Amino acid sequence: MSTLDQIPVRHEARAAEPQPRGRNPFANVFDELMNFARSRSMFMLHYCTGCGAIELPPAMTSRFDMERLGIQPMVTPRQADILLITGYVSIKTLKRVILTYEQMPSPKYVIGICSCTVNGGMYWQSYATAKVLRDYMPVDMYIAGCMPRPEAVITGLRQLMDDIKSGRADAWKKYYQQYDHYLGNQQKLFGDHWQTPTDIIAEAKHYQLITEQTLGKHTALLEQHQKPLEPLEMRLKHKDHVLP
Amino acid sequence: MSVGELAAELVLMPLVAFVAGMAMVLMMRKIGARIQRRIGPPLLQPLYDILKLYGKQTQISHGLIHEIGVIMAVGGYVAAETLLPVPGMSGLADKGGAITLAYMMMIPSLGLALGVGQCANPNGSIGISRALTAMAAYDIPFIIVIFGAAYVYGTTNLADIIAIQQQQGVPGWGIARMPLLAIAGLIAMQGMMGKHPFEIYVAPHEIATGPMVEMGGKFLGGLFVMQCFQIYTIGVLYSTLFLGGGANWLTFLPKIFAVVAIPMTIAFVFPRYRTEDVLRLMWKWPVVIGLMGLAVVMK
Repeated sequence: MSTLDQIPVRHEARAAEPQPRGRNPFANVFDELMNFARSRSMFMLHYCTGCGAIELPPAMTSRFDMERLGIQPMVTPRQADILLITGYVSIKTLKRVILTYEQMPSPKYVIGICSCTVNGGMYWQSYATAKVLRDYMPVDMYIAGCMPRPEAVITGLRQLMDDIKSGRADAWKKYYQQYDHYLGNQQKLFGDHWQTPTDIIAEAKHYQLITEQTLGKHTALLEQHQKPLEPLEMRLKHKDHVLP
Repeated sequence: MSVGELAAELVLMPLVAFVAGMAMVLMMRKIGARIQRRIGPPLLQPLYDILKLYGKQTQISHGLIHEIGVIMAVGGYVAAETLLPVPGMSGLADKGGAITLAYMMMIPSLGLALGVGQCANPNGSIGISRALTAMAAYDIPFIIVIFGAAYVYGTTNLADIIAIQQQQGVPGWGIARMPLLAIAGLIAMQGMMGKHPFEIYVAPHEIATGPMVEMGGKFLGGLFVMQCFQIYTIGVLYSTLFLGGGANWLTFLPKIFAVVAIPMTIAFVFPRYRTEDVLRLMWKWPVVIGLMGLAVVMK
């Protein structure tokens, strides 16, 4: 991110081809209806990591009122459609962000707010900050600024709405299609033993989004040490815990 | 009534309830927005939400019981709609009555308890234990109100209750004949809606929406549908018992919407009580007012 032309800008996303239309006209109409409903009803999970979170309450409340666009806050990743990362992401935070992202049901969209998610911003020299968010998960939309005003946040969300309506916002598929790349970057930060509870490769198979870039040397490393998830033991009291 | 007519009514009544319920959800969100000086969601927002949730590509199920639980939650209310007489349609109201309806309205909470149990999320378990506690809190005044209404009208048949009130005009309405019970019913209704200040089991900032914590996609969509039914059922039941039901849709719809608007308006200006405070309040004020109302009507 040393030169200006490396900064991700919007026309890259614009250039992406909209989804190919199928042959069945009824299915096309249904898909368009679904895309329209998706664009008009976005439940957002705001992962307020940095100062950008300050600009969200005015965007949600009476001055700018996101709800008139169908955007409302939700509190768990299972219910959410868009993940807002509002500020710098430290390495420790990034683990939680990735866990949250993988738990969200697709189609899901990620918005990086503030310069810190674009290129590290003022934390560029920090040893503990993950600079470029899109190295670790696909980002649909960046809203740059330090910090962006609520007008900019709402403009960005409206552009995301347009992208969803026209079927262009399918960055979530990239996470399955290029999982090896994202996992490699994650392993570089968190160490070789990084494992999340969600089995992305199985999901990629389920969605038929598996490509030659899904599997690679990083996923092979994951499979070496991957432990199957076990349900947590249910107990009322820890066995070492002594009541006073 | 022929079998065909009955079948048509059994299909139509839940459908009408769903559409009216979505309008009520919209009204609820609009009231909240206006109180907070916002514009609020557009006209078809509840429909967009439900369509979107059913159209999600990932549907995370936690097992068979999880799915059955959501079906029970919606199905309990669909069954309740067929027992609620509306203008022009009485469905199974003659066979059921207020007591069957009270049982049917408990099924969704039990279904949710089943479904959430399989999610194995501690927030969900806390939420469902609070939901059942809330049910124990509001059901006592609710049953007192049903008992009082049955005593006054001499029947638990909802269709007969409406007929009696409409024969006698406004002085014969439940709200004129038993005002104390109507007040108790209003407080119990606020608890049944699960809205502030009795929103103990959703509590987004504390237990992450409680029972809904692991629900995504069509499961959350099912719960959104359930919410439409829930608000509609409570509004119709209250206007049936106290406001004389409706002779036609033109008088019926304003009544149920006005009834629902009262708790919604209260909800958005209040914070949330703690669980034990809900129990204390519900077992004190509406129960005492309801018992006084019973004493008045029984004399």
